[in-house]
Amino acid sequence: MPKSARKTAHERRHFEADTRPHLDNLYSAALRLTRSQVDAEDLVQDTLVRAYRFYDRFEAGTNFKAWLLRIQMNTFVNRYRRAVREREVLDGPMAMPVGEGVMSRATMRGLTDPEGDAQRKLVAREIAHAFDQLSEDARAMVLLADVEELSYKEIAEIVGCPIGTVMSRLHRARKQLQLSLHSQARQLGIVVEDAEDASGEPVSLEEFRTRKAAQS
Amino acid sequence: MSCKLVRRHMGAYVDGELDPATQIEFERHVDTCVRCQEELAFETSMREQTREALGGVEAPDDLWGRVLNRLDEIDEARLDVGVAQARPMRWKQAWPIAAAAGALLVLGGVVGLPEGTTYQGASMGTLQDVVNLHSQRLPSDVEASEPGQVATYFRGKTPFPVRPAQFEGANGAQLAGARYIRVGNKPAAALYYNYGGRRMTLLVFRDPDMVNSAERTHVGGRELYYYNVGNQVVPIRQVRGINYAFFGDLEKPQLMELAASARVGQ
Repeated sequence: MPKSARKTAHERRHFEADTRPHLDNLYSAALRLTRSQVDAEDLVQDTLVRAYRFYDRFEAGTNFKAWLLRIQMNTFVNRYRRAVREREVLDGPMAMPVGEGVMSRATMRGLTDPEGDAQRKLVAREIAHAFDQLSEDARAMVLLADVEELSYKEIAEIVGCPIGTVMSRLHRARKQLQLSLHSQARQLGIVVEDAEDASGEPVSLEEFRTRKAAQS
Repeated sequence: MSCKLVRRHMGAYVDGELDPATQIEFERHVDTCVRCQEELAFETSMREQTREALGGVEAPDDLWGRVLNRLDEIDEARLDVGVAQARPMRWKQAWPIAAAAGALLVLGGVVGLPEGTTYQGASMGTLQDVVNLHSQRLPSDVEASEPGQVATYFRGKTPFPVRPAQFEGANGAQLAGARYIRVGNKPAAALYYNYGGRRMTLLVFRDPDMVNSAERTHVGGRELYYYNVGNQVVPIRQVRGINYAFFGDLEKPQLMELAASARVGQ
């Protein structure tokens, strides 16, 4: 049904003012999700078209950025996922057992206090690299929580699962990121392995279960 | 609270998602446990570094303009306004970048365009695109000097194969890179060349009618279409409905010759 010109112009002005501050966030997230500039640009455009169409459904007083990201995640899943999924292998990092502690103290220190700007940039690049190795689900978790800093409740609404599940999935995703980062950092010599890691202190979940089963 | 439980709650603590009672227990433990303090410092630092490493990418300059174009379409549909009326506004909004403003002024003084054809509006828009594109110096999506690499990059992105024009001889224009863009709503390839230290942009897009209202000439025995834009010229070669529009920091005869000598569509 055609709307009046005045109402449309009014809505349009508000929508632009609300949206513009989040454009970089949306593009950033889209780029991390699609891993392609062209796809990211298309995804953001499609997201904002949908957001504009459903603008009247946005609940005033709630987080607008979270609302936009939710639309973007849905759009991504519906339209772009199929192509991306083909590139992903089932037994990727997601299948890896994740231990409680995946790093030694020395490794942690090496990554916590990168010496100087150059080192910091190197670590940043490696994080981006490690991130790309994650499963789609884990990438979404890290993006929404760590980069966009949404609350667990907001994330739960976006991915459509209970808050408790957000917590465990997020925990898992971060550990995977660390694991992936760890092996790359070691290869690059950013961190040096010490005796602690060889002591077998980080125990994989599988090993933990085996031990527990043996005890009982 | 045990170390193990503290580690498990670490993420939620940094996120500020622990309930008050658990948070108090958590902090009580961490106050006295050096190893958990280290873990906490690491967790906090990782969070910050992850945000830095993965966020903060700026959207391309022209993205917002393209979003506004799409919103215009929705508004038009809502208002049930004819496309013809709304189009001039669309072009204006499509190029909000200051750099483009100068180029638009240049286009104000267009000469040599046949008037009264219904097609003129769309041609002019496309010409604006070429001129703007060149003056904006948008970064390449792909930096490559091999036509094959560029062709591969566009596979699946444009509904037609992109075959970069090639120029004969060591003094010919050298391919430097390419960028995917949209001309109106149509996907197109912008190819960047260097020619003796000067820049040339070649826009490749499908639009068989583009040449209908263009001037026509022969250079070096080859048919060449062109539009005069201010005191500059945009030569166009067309092969099987695909246009190759040239624009560059070159003298008019030089650009015409270059366009005529290019091997296109091969």
